[in-house]
Amino acid sequence: MNKNNGVENVKSPGEFTCRVSEQLSLAPDYYLLSLEAPELARAASPGEFAMLRCGEGYDNFLRRPMSIHQVDRSKGQVDILYQVRGKGTNWLSKRASGDLLPLLGPLGHGYTCSGPAGKGLLIGAGVGVAPLLFLASELAARQWKLVILMGARSKAGILRPDAYMEYGEVKTATEDGSVGMQGTILDLAANELENSTFDMIFSCGSLPVLRGVQELSRQKGIPAELSLDERMACGVGACVGCVCQGADGSYLKVCQDGPVFSAGEVILND
Amino acid sequence: MTDLTVHFAGITMKNPVMSASGTFGSGVEYASVFDVSRMGALVTKGLTKEPTAGNKPPRICETPAGLLNAVGLQNPGVEVFIRELLPGMLEFGVPVIANIAGRTKDDFVFMAERFSNTGVAGLELNISCPNVKTGGMALGTVPDVAAGVVKAVVQGTDLPVIVKLTPNVTDIRELAAAVADAGADALSLINTLVGMVIDVDERKPVLDNCVGGLSGPAIRPVGVRAVWEVSQAVDLPVIGMGGIANGTDALEYIMAGASAVAVGSAFFHDPLAAVKIIDQIDEYCTEQGVDKLQDLVGAAWKGNNGRR
Repeated sequence: MNKNNGVENVKSPGEFTCRVSEQLSLAPDYYLLSLEAPELARAASPGEFAMLRCGEGYDNFLRRPMSIHQVDRSKGQVDILYQVRGKGTNWLSKRASGDLLPLLGPLGHGYTCSGPAGKGLLIGAGVGVAPLLFLASELAARQWKLVILMGARSKAGILRPDAYMEYGEVKTATEDGSVGMQGTILDLAANELENSTFDMIFSCGSLPVLRGVQELSRQKGIPAELSLDERMACGVGACVGCVCQGADGSYLKVCQDGPVFSAGEVILND
Repeated sequence: MTDLTVHFAGITMKNPVMSASGTFGSGVEYASVFDVSRMGALVTKGLTKEPTAGNKPPRICETPAGLLNAVGLQNPGVEVFIRELLPGMLEFGVPVIANIAGRTKDDFVFMAERFSNTGVAGLELNISCPNVKTGGMALGTVPDVAAGVVKAVVQGTDLPVIVKLTPNVTDIRELAAAVADAGADALSLINTLVGMVIDVDERKPVLDNCVGGLSGPAIRPVGVRAVWEVSQAVDLPVIGMGGIANGTDALEYIMAGASAVAVGSAFFHDPLAAVKIIDQIDEYCTEQGVDKLQDLVGAAWKGNNGRR
């Protein structure tokens, strides 16, 4: 089908019912969900997401947007790394191998991977590291040199550091100092940018972290891309429920114009 | 083979399932997800004369079996819509109905005229949006005011005029009768119900707009009741909507008196909802030996329950 009726930049998501191949608890409230989703694995790019059904019947009526953590195209597998934040994600965390899960994807505008290879700084706060593994694998395959910063309150929140080490140098910060540098992800990022230079920053995390990254990007004159997290209804740009403020004051659709924006494109209000 | 065709107000649809305004973009967003040309008709997002920025986020909040929204009619304005989005929408080859939302009566008249000869099959007057400060529901809760808008629009256009009514009134039949007298060709029932959710940790409303419109399966019985009441009181075709998520839901509305139905929030729960609903209506009719779907319209209140 893929009929865009003359409108450009329209994604071609599909609706799929995927089988859960495995679900692992990484730490309290953090889960790694593996799905048999060959079409999604094939079509997805780093920074894109899927809308997952997260309840029975009409419970948790809206689907949850989940960034794509990693794909294995040869196995047709898609991994989702997420944090339990409410009823929907709690329901999702109870899914087991063999369960079927409807999802819509891939969706959104992801990270820019197509430019010339360079040195990249990846900044992921908490579960914000989720889309950065797929990104790191894609950039590493394109000969980028990567430093990957992971931050959390404590060691338990540093998710799958070993997986990231395959693609670059991993540095961590925890607020309680239980692993890595004691401090916030922004402290760690400021240190790193003090000592080295980069061609590009890629980030995902909470609003305060993204605002900090935006500021660092401006100070250092290094372009940055930020992935925003927002409640959504349709996920495809139809309902205009998930907006953020654009630099020109107009509202941008997080699901369609984003979730990845360049740092200068958005104003990050509370 | 059941005949699912619907003829109302000069519009012909191959089946009774339309998209509800504001939930389906311009259809293009779903073009890779399912065959949009299977829809009976498409209804545009609410359009205003000038571009409208919409409300500050958060704009949506999930509720039991539904959601609240306070989008505030964000849209690029009628000119940009006609130039850039309407052509793609028309390409699906199904009737397109333009939902217009004026701040004033003059806005409505202007937009109705603007849509002449653009290819749209009809107009849906949005005098029921709960999320804007001027126009919207303010024009649609007092029978005389609503009738005044409808009268002015009908005089200035040859297009069929469908009026979308709010359920947030004491007696929806009074409004329906008033807009029928003013010359409306059909009615859409219902727009969203005004509601609110409070975040108890923050101790404030979740939506920046404080209140929003409630939609989804939670409101379906309210919509069915409105269609039941209005279709018996007023001699106009009715499009039923509000919480339709499967074929049975759609048939409830049809039996309550709706000639056609619209699917909205269900797209968020299941993007394939509309096509499943078309198939389920067809299956029901085949199983029940219904030759023409229109025989079921109002079956719940007609003599012999629509049986021949």
